[in-house]
Amino acid sequence: MQSLIHQLINLPTTGVITSSGEHGKVTDLIKNADQIRQHHPQIHQHKIALQYTNLTQFVTALIAFDGWCSEIYLCPPNVSISQNQLIKWPIDVDTDNTDLSVKPLNSTSSDVAHTSWYMSTSGTTGEPRWYPHTFLSLSASTKYSSRLQTLCWALLYQPFRFAGLQVVLQALLSGADLVDVADYEPLAQMAFLKHADVTAVSATPSLWRQLLMTGQLSELTLSHITLGGEIADQSVLDKLKRLFPSAKLRHIYASTEAGVGFVVVDGRAGFPAEWLEDTSLPVALKVSDKQHLLIKPSHQICQTLAQQTDVQGYMDTLDTVQIIDGRVFFLGRATGTINVGGSKVHPEKVEQILLQCADISQAKVYAKKSAIIGELVVADITIIGSANQQNVKQQAFKMCKNKLQRYEIPTKISVVNNIAHDPSGKLNRK
Amino acid sequence: MLNLEQQIRDAMQQVAELSDCKLVEPVKSDTLLLECGLDSLGYAMLVAQLEEDLGFDPFTELAIDTYPSTFAEFLAIYQLCADNQ
Repeated sequence: MQSLIHQLINLPTTGVITSSGEHGKVTDLIKNADQIRQHHPQIHQHKIALQYTNLTQFVTALIAFDGWCSEIYLCPPNVSISQNQLIKWPIDVDTDNTDLSVKPLNSTSSDVAHTSWYMSTSGTTGEPRWYPHTFLSLSASTKYSSRLQTLCWALLYQPFRFAGLQVVLQALLSGADLVDVADYEPLAQMAFLKHADVTAVSATPSLWRQLLMTGQLSELTLSHITLGGEIADQSVLDKLKRLFPSAKLRHIYASTEAGVGFVVVDGRAGFPAEWLEDTSLPVALKVSDKQHLLIKPSHQICQTLAQQTDVQGYMDTLDTVQIIDGRVFFLGRATGTINVGGSKVHPEKVEQILLQCADISQAKVYAKKSAIIGELVVADITIIGSANQQNVKQQAFKMCKNKLQRYEIPTKISVVNNIAHDPSGKLNRK
Repeated sequence: MLNLEQQIRDAMQQVAELSDCKLVEPVKSDTLLLECGLDSLGYAMLVAQLEEDLGFDPFTELAIDTYPSTFAEFLAIYQLCADNQ
């Protein structure tokens, strides 16, 4: 398997990346990546914590580091990683200990065998959990063709997350252009998409609903439409199909942990039940007795996931599914994790905050379905003695506002008499 | 009984306060929803709040061809759903 830089060099054509209104040719980014390798010999075969700054620098660093460093950690802003022997990138000029006496390395002659790319998911405690991937597994579904090369992709996801990285790699390796609009509000995003004549967009169903709400989506000429990161419902698929009847409409199921996914192209929610037990697929699928989706990728699953994997090599995705009329539909996370427009909320974390209120004796946080944003966070609480319900709720909201991200804050807190528990004493999350 | 428009406006105000958003003044019929001051989380909360107040959620119950862009279109969808109840 060739590294990212070698694959790009061998492409017949490469595209242009536009970020913050500035254009960067991928050919120039390759040159810059080569310079990084030459001027920072200390990073060779080392572990790198890549802090996200902007898309152009991020992509340049990926080109420089894949096949050159042993491990790359894709760090979201404000996520620090506590591990020894990690070199932080971009290098802080104050602490840069580059030894200028070290002879620059020839950047193409001594690649490492392969580089592990680590991506984080937020754990139950709020601490990120890191999962290793390889360039091979991450780019498994990307391809080059003269038709794909003419596309202009919009990036609406954060590129250091799984879905965003897929868009970045798809654009890079197909020689297409890429426009970064991830940090803008929907109306501004639409303005950029129109200005750049974007033809390919990948976004969560919630982001698609926002773009639909602008009333301007039909002004684009989209040929490739992808939905991912949340359950794609039939309603949003139908609306997009009506607006762009000849576009390729795909929704993706992806597991960041396993680093794999699959694509559904028939414009219908869920996926065909005949895919279960079909061993000819790149990812083998089945449904467990608990109605969880199990997947078996062709590559080896990392050690961390061994306890989630059965003897046949199937990993429990912890996504619950239901089969109706030959179709497998996704219902949500078995763990109770709530998906608010693509952002994951762990109910336990919110419950712990609620329980810090002196007058709250029990708390249960769960999802309420939303046709706008997928799921919303709601909470039931029991209160102690004669405390005033309204005051306790206000106190709870205040506590949540101080300690949680906005999407994690319960949109509704209900005072109830009793909260059900399993015989084991755990909260009944069903 | 408040009229539907006033109920929606009241719920918008309530959600804006709860979600730390600031509504633009005034929200007129042709004000774009995405320029009212609520973001997508705010709208999701608004629809959930209105479901509590009115007892229905048109975005779940109606097969809506296009999403509303303006306040008037948002109101019209609720009016249509209310008429069907």
